[in-house]
Amino acid sequence: MPEIGGSDLFVLEFGDILHYYSPYTLTLFLLALIFTGLAILSRPEGQVDIAFGGDAYYAKETAVSEMRFRRFMTIACGLATMGAMGSGDIFNFTLFASLVGITNVGIVAAVKSRHVLDAAYEYGIVAMVATLPLFGGAALILATTGTLSIPALAAGAIAVPPVGKALLALGVIGEGMAPFYAAKAEMFRAPGAPYVIMCSLSSLLIFLRVVEIAITI
Amino acid sequence: MIPDYSIGLLVAFASAGVAFFALMRETDGLHRLLLTDLIEVVTLAFIALVGTDLAEALILPGLVVGVSELIALSEIYRVKEGYVRPPAAGLRIEVMESAPGILAAILVVYGIVLSGFSGGAVAGLGVIFYFLCRDHSERFELIETASGYSWVFWIVAFFVFMLLPQYWFFAVMLAGSAILVKVLAKMSLIGTMRGGPNA
Repeated sequence: MPEIGGSDLFVLEFGDILHYYSPYTLTLFLLALIFTGLAILSRPEGQVDIAFGGDAYYAKETAVSEMRFRRFMTIACGLATMGAMGSGDIFNFTLFASLVGITNVGIVAAVKSRHVLDAAYEYGIVAMVATLPLFGGAALILATTGTLSIPALAAGAIAVPPVGKALLALGVIGEGMAPFYAAKAEMFRAPGAPYVIMCSLSSLLIFLRVVEIAITI
Repeated sequence: MIPDYSIGLLVAFASAGVAFFALMRETDGLHRLLLTDLIEVVTLAFIALVGTDLAEALILPGLVVGVSELIALSEIYRVKEGYVRPPAAGLRIEVMESAPGILAAILVVYGIVLSGFSGGAVAGLGVIFYFLCRDHSERFELIETASGYSWVFWIVAFFVFMLLPQYWFFAVMLAGSAILVKVLAKMSLIGTMRGGPNA
């Protein structure tokens, strides 16, 4: 087993479904945990618009109540990301990845303006279509090797087909497309700063994790 | 002789190709939403092709993910297009005014006898039938709360299975009745979806 993430620090077994943390995944897990904590604690950012050609400026106040839904989605997204980091079962990982996709749709779609909703809709279709390679890859791996447990696959009794790994990676790329759509909708300029960053962070983390999985198995 | 799995895989990949091609050509928003559902079905076919007990257990979460994404996208589409449906009156069929009471009662009693997931579905069907035909002026928060708590009991039953296996009979009964209430409550909400303030 090529232990690119270092040796296991912790293993929680339910039969062959298990959760494990290596130094690599533990680092990613802590990143997600810290950012979820920050999202819970932080208040929405207040924005300042400068009036062009003068000294005047407008300060916009954003109340917490407007941001409740997005904060909830951010916390859910953080929990899903943490689950994806620790999971030692490929199908559980794909489920967590698609949960990250759904919550990212929620974060992007929380702004009630037409072009943001257009972008969220496009992203939602991408995320939904991406479940085909995601689950398809997991199903192919299950069909050829007879197991979904990452340590069992890494032990290498039967070689994992490269097409299965490729489909899995493709699916995660599709689920993690949210930052591009958030950028397309200029959401980084919309009020409610800390929550939008969760799109980028969760996409980055699930992508780093699927790279580790694809190399390990 | 080509193995069955390979043939199935070939068919699934061909269907995926057709679905993606259709999605590429289609420009209308609503039609694209419907086409993504086509892709979801191919996804389920990929899992179903494995054909083991494990695959059967994996189809359900796959289906749930697909359905929840579909519901979320439909809601986004509705909001972005600004569609607001006026609340419509219930079914106006004379037989339905007198029939639902006894039929709903039979279905609910039979569902409770069955118990578990299928029992919840049968009993839920009875409640849907009742709500569809009769007026609905129930406290929906109460139904949702009952559904949530029974889900928690279901999970508690699973923890009993794992941590205290000697109490398996208690856990079986708890899981069976909790999932009955949960499915019944969730399904009964469908019977009330006709716009208006409660929907």
